[in-house]
Amino acid sequence: MGAQATRGGKVYETEVLIVGGGATGTGVMRDLALRGIHCLLIDRRDLNAGASGGNHGLLHSGGRYVLGDADTAAECRREGGILKALAPECIDACGGLFVAVEGDDPEIAARFPERCRAAGIECSPVTPAEARELEPCLSEKVYAAYAVPDATVDPFRITLENVNHARQLTQSLFLAHTELERFVIEGAAIRSALCRDTRSGEAITIHARQVVNAAGAWAMQVARMAGCSSVRLLYSKGTLIISNARIGRRVLNRLRAPGDGDILVPGGTVSLLGTTSATVQSLEDIHPSVAEVDRLVAEGLAMVPEIAHTRFIRAFSGVRPLLMASGAEADGRKASRGFSLFDHESEGLANFATVAGGKLTTFRLMAEKTGDLVARRLGNSAPCKTGTTPLPSGDAIRWTEPGFAPRYWAARREPGDLILCECEMVPTSAIDSIVENAPGAQSQMSLNAIAVRSRVGKGSCQGAFCSLRVTSHLYDRQVYDSPEGLRNTRDFVAQRFKGVAPVAWGEHLPQLELAEALHCALLGLDQLADDRVVDDGAQQARDGTQDR
Amino acid sequence: MNTASTTATRTIDFKAAARALLPAGASYDACLSCGLCSAGCPASGLEGMDPRRFVRMAMLGMNEELSTTPWVWTCTQCQRCKYVCPMSIDVAVLVGLARGAWPNEKKPSGIVRSCEAQLRFPGTSAMGLQKEDFVETVEETVASVRGQGDRFARLEAPIDKQGAHFFVNQNSREPATEPEEMGPLWKIFDYVGADWTYSSTGWAAENFCMFTGDDAAWRKMVEQRVAAVNRLGCKVWLNTECGHSFYTVWKGVERFGLKADFEAGSLVSYYAQWIREGRLPVNAAWNTQGIKFTVQDPCQLVRKSLGDTMADDIRYVARTLVGEENFIDMAPSRSANYCCGGGGGFLQAGMKERRWAYGKRKFDQIAATRADYVLTPCHNCHSQIEDLGHHFKGGYRVVHFWTLICLSLGILGANERKYLGPELARLGL
Repeated sequence: MGAQATRGGKVYETEVLIVGGGATGTGVMRDLALRGIHCLLIDRRDLNAGASGGNHGLLHSGGRYVLGDADTAAECRREGGILKALAPECIDACGGLFVAVEGDDPEIAARFPERCRAAGIECSPVTPAEARELEPCLSEKVYAAYAVPDATVDPFRITLENVNHARQLTQSLFLAHTELERFVIEGAAIRSALCRDTRSGEAITIHARQVVNAAGAWAMQVARMAGCSSVRLLYSKGTLIISNARIGRRVLNRLRAPGDGDILVPGGTVSLLGTTSATVQSLEDIHPSVAEVDRLVAEGLAMVPEIAHTRFIRAFSGVRPLLMASGAEADGRKASRGFSLFDHESEGLANFATVAGGKLTTFRLMAEKTGDLVARRLGNSAPCKTGTTPLPSGDAIRWTEPGFAPRYWAARREPGDLILCECEMVPTSAIDSIVENAPGAQSQMSLNAIAVRSRVGKGSCQGAFCSLRVTSHLYDRQVYDSPEGLRNTRDFVAQRFKGVAPVAWGEHLPQLELAEALHCALLGLDQLADDRVVDDGAQQARDGTQDR
Repeated sequence: MNTASTTATRTIDFKAAARALLPAGASYDACLSCGLCSAGCPASGLEGMDPRRFVRMAMLGMNEELSTTPWVWTCTQCQRCKYVCPMSIDVAVLVGLARGAWPNEKKPSGIVRSCEAQLRFPGTSAMGLQKEDFVETVEETVASVRGQGDRFARLEAPIDKQGAHFFVNQNSREPATEPEEMGPLWKIFDYVGADWTYSSTGWAAENFCMFTGDDAAWRKMVEQRVAAVNRLGCKVWLNTECGHSFYTVWKGVERFGLKADFEAGSLVSYYAQWIREGRLPVNAAWNTQGIKFTVQDPCQLVRKSLGDTMADDIRYVARTLVGEENFIDMAPSRSANYCCGGGGGFLQAGMKERRWAYGKRKFDQIAATRADYVLTPCHNCHSQIEDLGHHFKGGYRVVHFWTLICLSLGILGANERKYLGPELARLGL
């Protein structure tokens, strides 16, 4: 099942090849591993590189969909309950409020509790005064409020746990920066996938009995590579901004027809204000714009006035892969948030499946349905176990939760364990465990890859200092032994800058000046010679989508 | 002796408190994580903390850890962090708040006891000196100074003289343990013909209540002292060679919105003024041996209150007294000076090892000047720097300005040379 070197590069054998390292792909990986099946998961970039990293981390109570999509609402409720029970370490069961402010349609507010009841979602009315007592940041103009069991989920940790568990169960493997170039199809089956390591340029051939397309926004492209045109997606770009510190205790939802700036989601130590929605035609060059950020702030402050003075440290965009349904072409907000499983059998393939659409909250269910199909095809009769088996944690995969590292460090009182990232208080031991043992750990591991597995670069300095300190540490440890390490640093700070630029005002502006002085004036990273054939960082910059 | 206290430390919401207490644009939100604060903080590393970490932990919501870390007693609230911060973030304000939230029996008892002593008697002495003791000691010492010769036969140290121009306060250390050290100061007043008085109430020049973090106690202390000055109708409240006692009143009047019918002045500024006016004709002619001096800028007097104007005065007086070529400044200095570690109640907190670790930076700075003497117009600086010299085996001595002024004027008595070395023990006698 492992790799063997041939003239044409590396060759891998596996039972199931999964394309796409997001919540769904990793969920499928774990689902199948729990049935005893070996998988190979590949991603062109890294874990959570698409929508699974570019979201607000809301674990929906379902309340957000009761007005337009009762089925999705009920699905969210069920799946949210399962995740809360099986992966509590990834969840902040903070609760949520739906609030209507003066000017919002009273009809919608009036209908809300009844719709929640219909979807089976707990919903209790609170008076505006109580709401403001629960969440003092709320506007005095709130006239109706309901409490729902919203929660938040750490989308990075959950994918890491998925991959880690699959690795423990069946030695399933994840390969980062492995791009699918084409399928070799014989008769009714994909025989192999021809891929390339985008860092080394090396060719990789993967032989698999079954292939699962969980490529998220890229699922339509992957399906087409297999000659399948049934997968039709609508690309809906969403932009969010992250505050320097947590604003509300709970998830705060605006009780109105979905619009920009109507949800403020806590992310541990920060808050995320979202979300814009704009249909885009291409997946290239997706990045947050100043206009989107302005809209978020302008809309958000109606619900939470202090947003007008809040320091935001970063903007990011993701692309929602929405299933195309009739009438949905014009408006991503009205498209179904449900998912579909394509077996592609009517298109002449018996070992290919695509799972598309859906939401972070429902990834487990998507993986279950996909796992059922793939296991049946493999003649494996083991039932799905993801609904009852807790997700195991581990040393190398617990560093993505905002606020974990500081608590760990404070409780441990180990003065020798130097803090490398001061903003998020990430200690040396965290970096060491990630480099050694995190899913997707690799030689010369890039700062971007470390950041996906930790809070490095996520704090107020946005990598200005930690990039240099972590790089120095990795050179000290001889993880880096060439100018490649410095280029990693450059790519990392360039990547962070793209997210910082749209929120560059007020208190955050001096931060950028300081970063520029450090990175360009002092270190000359902008002058760094770049003699790489394949440039992972530049690739990411072209791809545009960004995680948080 | 409180070994089984059940009183819990109140947990503060530091992020919210910072927003409430600090100006917009200079609150913890504005932190750039640049670490200038930590790099220049002698308390960095103690208890695993530093100022940047304090700010970040506040922003990360680690209120319990911050509410209980003993680091707040090793931070002297010297505000160097604020001074170098590009966003002017004041960490010390919340350190004070955190101190105040500790239950009294868990606070360093030396600080608490000093504050309690101050509150006990109207003299406000942290050493518990009562009115009668103070008056008696002053009278006895006056008699002793007059006995030094005709030059001082009419010297006076008035107490409660209504309408005197200067209300002079007095650190308790001299009347309590070394009354002869008051003599040089009185001689200077006598020399320039100053119209001054002590007071039998609110006379003490120390305020540990501020260091307990108990704002109410700080306020009470300042109120008593302000009332004492107002009562005597003095124009100038003249603070002796002491840092924090100046700051507590200067800042307290503003902070608590008190009505003060006087202006606050520091003794060193008046030394400088009197020298410039020719009323205090000091010079360095006595320093024929080329003895080297450096000065310690008291944080409370320079960075935290009067700024570099005060630092200029300190240097003007020092250079005049010891000779330009014999004065060596520390680096950094003036408003960027490092705290010595004697402030903030650290000397009274009983945390010797940490106080020495804190003071190592100051010791190294002094050692780098190779000065024989450190001049400092602050009692806490004086004690700490002297202690650092003993602990780290520095060869220097620490001396008050009044000693050198009187030495230069040829009026320093034989018993007023406690802080001078043997080379100066007989000079001018």
